[in-house]
Amino acid sequence: MDQEQIKKNAEFLVNNLSGKEIPGSARFKVRYKKMVDFAGIYGITDPKYVGPEEKGVIACHAFANSFAVNAFYILVPGLKVKQNGEERPLVLNPNKLLHAGNKYNWEDCVDIKNGDVLIATGKISKIWVVEKNLILFAELLLTVKNQNDELVCKVTSTAAIRPGGY
Amino acid sequence: MVKISDIEGGQVIKNEFNGITRDLLKQYAKSSGDTNPIHTNDAIAERAGLKGVIAHGLFSFGFISKLFEDFLEQGKYGKIIEIGVEMRGMVRCGDLLITEASIEKIEGNRVYFNVKQTTFTNIEIKDKDGNIVKKFEAGERGYISDKDREQGLVKTKEISEGVLSYRERVATPGSAIIELYE
Repeated sequence: MDQEQIKKNAEFLVNNLSGKEIPGSARFKVRYKKMVDFAGIYGITDPKYVGPEEKGVIACHAFANSFAVNAFYILVPGLKVKQNGEERPLVLNPNKLLHAGNKYNWEDCVDIKNGDVLIATGKISKIWVVEKNLILFAELLLTVKNQNDELVCKVTSTAAIRPGGY
Repeated sequence: MVKISDIEGGQVIKNEFNGITRDLLKQYAKSSGDTNPIHTNDAIAERAGLKGVIAHGLFSFGFISKLFEDFLEQGKYGKIIEIGVEMRGMVRCGDLLITEASIEKIEGNRVYFNVKQTTFTNIEIKDKDGNIVKKFEAGERGYISDKDREQGLVKTKEISEGVLSYRERVATPGSAIIELYE
């Protein structure tokens, strides 16, 4: 892809994707074993997060990684826009996609419990290009709720796409 | 007990982790569902130009959330409102990972932190005559780049076996907000 086309694509995506809802949702079933395994990676042993019994155990904060990254990879490919009459995804070459950052917000959120079904929906909250290197940054806002429609986490993921990847 | 009246700007909390292994990354891959083989298979990571497996981008995030969970004694004295991280530097097996959070400001019951995760990567040990007596994984596999050296990230220190060279760099800058109950 030549420089001119990269610039055109960047301009198109910046002008058309900001604020765009991503169709569909990503669903995750929360299992006790997974919650405990996740806590174990970080040496978390507090009964609040690992038991000894399943009942009453809640997920440690690091558990957010278990759904945030997967939701990102499930939802983003579903985002399509029409450019010059042809439908295209945000990312044309996944090898040029980098996960640049994540922000988790738990304000007004309920705890994640064993057996919960988490449903993540997303939108592109911000998209911009760095002129000097033409790296395109897209900020994806994920809203994650449980089966009772209660908020469990808000995630802001930042993706960086190198020239030729968008 | 952690109370607003007991803390002040500039105060630092920290933890250290010195157990990043291939087995742990495999465990993380299984639990997180991020099974990209560049995190678990050296041959594939090498083919991707990485010289060996790298930790998942968000792997080290868990040590930040644990830092605050421990500080708040698992929610006894407050709750975590927000944690944000940027993935800047790759984290590797054998790295010592130090997570530090310093209080930037306090507003009401909310405490705002600057967070920094630094990796210490051992490269090699030389004796007093300059002979290499031990090479670590980073030295064997060539994880240290010219850019690291140009930026002054490679340092030395004397230890009992000789002179250790290592790289020190910030892998994950970030921020956090917690809310204390009193």
